[in-house]
Amino acid sequence: MIISTNWLADYVQAPGSVDDMVERLLMSGLNHESTTAVGDDTAVEIEVTSNRPDCLGHIGVAREVAVLFGRPLHVPDPRPLEGVGEVARSVAVEILSPEICAYYTARVIRGVKVGPSPKWLVDRLATVGVASVNNVVDVTNYVMLESGQPLHAFDLAKIRGGRIVVRRAVEGEPFVAINHKTYTLTERMCVIADAERPVALAGVMGGADTEIAAETVDVLIESAQFAPLPVRAAARGLVLASASSYRFERGPDPAMVDWASRRAASLILEHAGGLLERGVAVAGQLACAPAEIRLAADRVGEVLGVDIADARQRQILTALGFVEARGAAPHDHRWRAPTWRRDCWREIDLVEEITRIEGYGHVPENAVIAARPVELSARERTVRRASEVLVAAGLCEAMTRSVVAEEMASMPSPWGEAAPLVIAPPLVRGADRLRRSLLPSLLEARAGNAAVGVDDADLFEMARAYLARRDGDDAGRGPVEEPLLTGIVVGGDFSRAKGLCDVVLAGLGLAGDGVRLGYRPIDLAPFARGRAAEVMLERSGHAAERVAVVGEVAADVTGRLGLPGPVSAAEVRLDRLTFAASIERRLVKPSDFPAVQRDVNLVVDESVPWGEVEVAIRVAAGDVLEGCRLVQVWRDADRLGAGRKSFVVAMALRSTAGTLSGDEAGRIVDGVVAECGRRVNAVLRS
Amino acid sequence: MTAVPLDTFRAELERLRAGAEAALAAAGDAAAVEAARIEFLGAKSGRLKAIQKSLGGLAPADKPAGGKQFNDTKNAITACFEAAQARVAAGASGPAVAVIDVTLPADHIRLGHLHPITKTIRRVQEIMGRLGFESVDGPEVEDQWHNFEALAIPAEHPARDPLDNFYLAVARGADPLLLRSQTSTVQIRVMENREPPLRIVSLGRVYRPDTADATHYPMFHQVEGLLVEPGTTMAHLKSVLRMFASSFLGGDVKVRFRPSFFPFTEPSVEVDMEWGGRWVEMGGAGMVDPAVLESVGYDPDTVTGFAFGLGVERIAARRHGVEDIRDFYRNDVRFLRQF
Repeated sequence: MIISTNWLADYVQAPGSVDDMVERLLMSGLNHESTTAVGDDTAVEIEVTSNRPDCLGHIGVAREVAVLFGRPLHVPDPRPLEGVGEVARSVAVEILSPEICAYYTARVIRGVKVGPSPKWLVDRLATVGVASVNNVVDVTNYVMLESGQPLHAFDLAKIRGGRIVVRRAVEGEPFVAINHKTYTLTERMCVIADAERPVALAGVMGGADTEIAAETVDVLIESAQFAPLPVRAAARGLVLASASSYRFERGPDPAMVDWASRRAASLILEHAGGLLERGVAVAGQLACAPAEIRLAADRVGEVLGVDIADARQRQILTALGFVEARGAAPHDHRWRAPTWRRDCWREIDLVEEITRIEGYGHVPENAVIAARPVELSARERTVRRASEVLVAAGLCEAMTRSVVAEEMASMPSPWGEAAPLVIAPPLVRGADRLRRSLLPSLLEARAGNAAVGVDDADLFEMARAYLARRDGDDAGRGPVEEPLLTGIVVGGDFSRAKGLCDVVLAGLGLAGDGVRLGYRPIDLAPFARGRAAEVMLERSGHAAERVAVVGEVAADVTGRLGLPGPVSAAEVRLDRLTFAASIERRLVKPSDFPAVQRDVNLVVDESVPWGEVEVAIRVAAGDVLEGCRLVQVWRDADRLGAGRKSFVVAMALRSTAGTLSGDEAGRIVDGVVAECGRRVNAVLRS
Repeated sequence: MTAVPLDTFRAELERLRAGAEAALAAAGDAAAVEAARIEFLGAKSGRLKAIQKSLGGLAPADKPAGGKQFNDTKNAITACFEAAQARVAAGASGPAVAVIDVTLPADHIRLGHLHPITKTIRRVQEIMGRLGFESVDGPEVEDQWHNFEALAIPAEHPARDPLDNFYLAVARGADPLLLRSQTSTVQIRVMENREPPLRIVSLGRVYRPDTADATHYPMFHQVEGLLVEPGTTMAHLKSVLRMFASSFLGGDVKVRFRPSFFPFTEPSVEVDMEWGGRWVEMGGAGMVDPAVLESVGYDPDTVTGFAFGLGVERIAARRHGVEDIRDFYRNDVRFLRQF
């Protein structure tokens, strides 16, 4: 809303400087956007919150200034001189849909002379950024910017059948607006029709056929009360927002419907001549019933934490136009809100009015808050621990969009097979699928870095994916599951991603008692075939479940993204691992006795995975096995035989009970070899 | 051949000793010490060696005195050399270690970096944690009740327009779902499940269909605080925000309230904090609207509360001099590695 300071001075004697006024308005709820000199006038742009349609007119802003500076407010009382002729003979008004238009009024002026507006009118409109059209149209705009009540002027000669009908648009009905564009209406919108066709899109824009033109002689002035929803449906649906629709969406002062009509008639008579017909054609009932609001005397103090004197409260409310109801008890005031403040209907609304005028500077800022213990949730601790590990490992945290393009969304998710959820409108162009994995976005982010010459962008992200739950899944829970994930995308082979995945899982404290993690091969895009694994979590009392996937990204994916390879990736399902955050670590006292190193060279079939050998070693060696390291995998068809390989394993053995003797260590190694023989047919290579 | 006078020989030795001492004292590193050694004590063409030759030119009676003088000088220069050698060696880790160029690049481990948005959120969480506010989390895909109705945003409110929200194509029954447009949804969920007193901060991603530009992005982060306890006033709100501002921005920071409008608070205010000598708009706040308290089953006559919300991107951008908030989502590691 732009205010002309010259114009404002018609209603209130403005304070010394515009800056003072702007500052007070700013601190009482009308945010300041800009102040601009326009000729001998000043344009002040203010931001009006949606609950204050009263400040979408100069009179409303003048009232705020009057209250803030304690000055009187002068609002004109237009009494246009009525001539001969009854308006009822010229036009009949009818409302077919009272839910979209409660009240409609029409006045008729005959014999106007359409021409340029007087200079003062042109200047004031120019200050607030409105171009002059002609003396009749300018008056309707002027009165809207004065009162906040939008008006429309029709050329009465072009209204067919002497009828005004307010109704819902017929689905698909065409309408040519003043801008000479044709719009197709829906039944959610409201039109003003004559006996034959729509002549205006109610509350939004007039029609081209009936607009005021140079040859117009008789004018019909519409002033009405349109409901917000049909106006918004038209303004948004047709992308046809106007100063009028803006106001009707917020609800102008009902008392201004007739005032604005009289005001416009009076100004048109003055500047365009003509004769006003007697009376006003009316349909419907003015919806305007301010409620009585109780205000307990100590309520303001209870909300603010500081008292405002009773007399001052009364002074503020009265100046704002609230009327004290009679017969109120001393500590139980009752007020009736003015028609222009339909946002005020509860006690708390009165408290806010009093406070905003008095100023929030009065609210103390030294109130005492009692201490309370707080702890981070297990989920939060899990996220933090995982990100600490990844930052220490040299990765940067990325933040990518939750919504991806169809192509990216089509990559399968490790976490569910349901199709991606679709949103409208798209988040950004082309991206309308909620992602089911973070990896596609992270691969894109790595590719974005490669495109600017940074080939080593090792990234992780902590975010959610979104999975549609199938009907019947998890009864009582929402239709969308949001797994919390850590996605990891790095340069290097399988081993690099697996290493990162391992340290994240270990860092979360998952290596403890009763918890087992096992890697199993899987076949899942975007990973290369034969180069990916899932991590299965087993713990007592729970079914085994997949908690991570890891692998090398397939060459066709890296190729398509323009990513220099090799690239590997992992994704960990953190929301399934938060239980670990609540496991208290218990000390395992380090042994004071020396460790014994023993190497074994175990020959197995090519098909035997290391994981099985490792399990056999751990089972056989038991607690004295401090460390077990795979030193080398060795293949030599001549010496080992075809289809055979050997694992060279370094074991560190240490007892907490005493120094292990050579014999004891030897027996343990023998046990290991035997167990490996039983489980995977391993033989010792000496 | 005329014998060299003893005095001349002595004077020459004296000059040489002074020169050698000066050169060795000036030598700053091992190489310079070595150069001085070669110049003065060099076995083949050192200057001492040259003077030794003229020892033979002294008169026979002068030779014992001259020889003694020569040996004294040689010992003095040698001692001086050893002292200089020890001096330059003391700068390194041990006398026998070759000197290194300490400006050579080191063998770094590469540290990773948290995203500046994460860092900002964590800082807010930490400060609010010290004030007794617990961090909470909730779903991003929300229903109408939690995103709108419970927050006193009725069906006809413009904020629910399909063009102003990301609605999902699936629905729960007749209730359309959407990506949450504010983290206040989490506050409703917590209040529905717990009784006052409550102090929470909800934080996370929110979504609104803004066209992306330097100051807008359709996905951004909010941190919202909520306190519901009997007897809570706006003075508590202002005091908490002032403590937050002083902690977050450092120093005794002033907080200013300007009236505003939000459906779920009444009174509602914009919160300005004095930052770098200017009032900077940090977010919105207010007393929890009685309608919201009622919607979660609280009695607004016995408990009151306040709520506030901060835009994380705006704070992080200002804090780090990021002029285009889209940079937060480009994931350029040249950007990420700076934080």
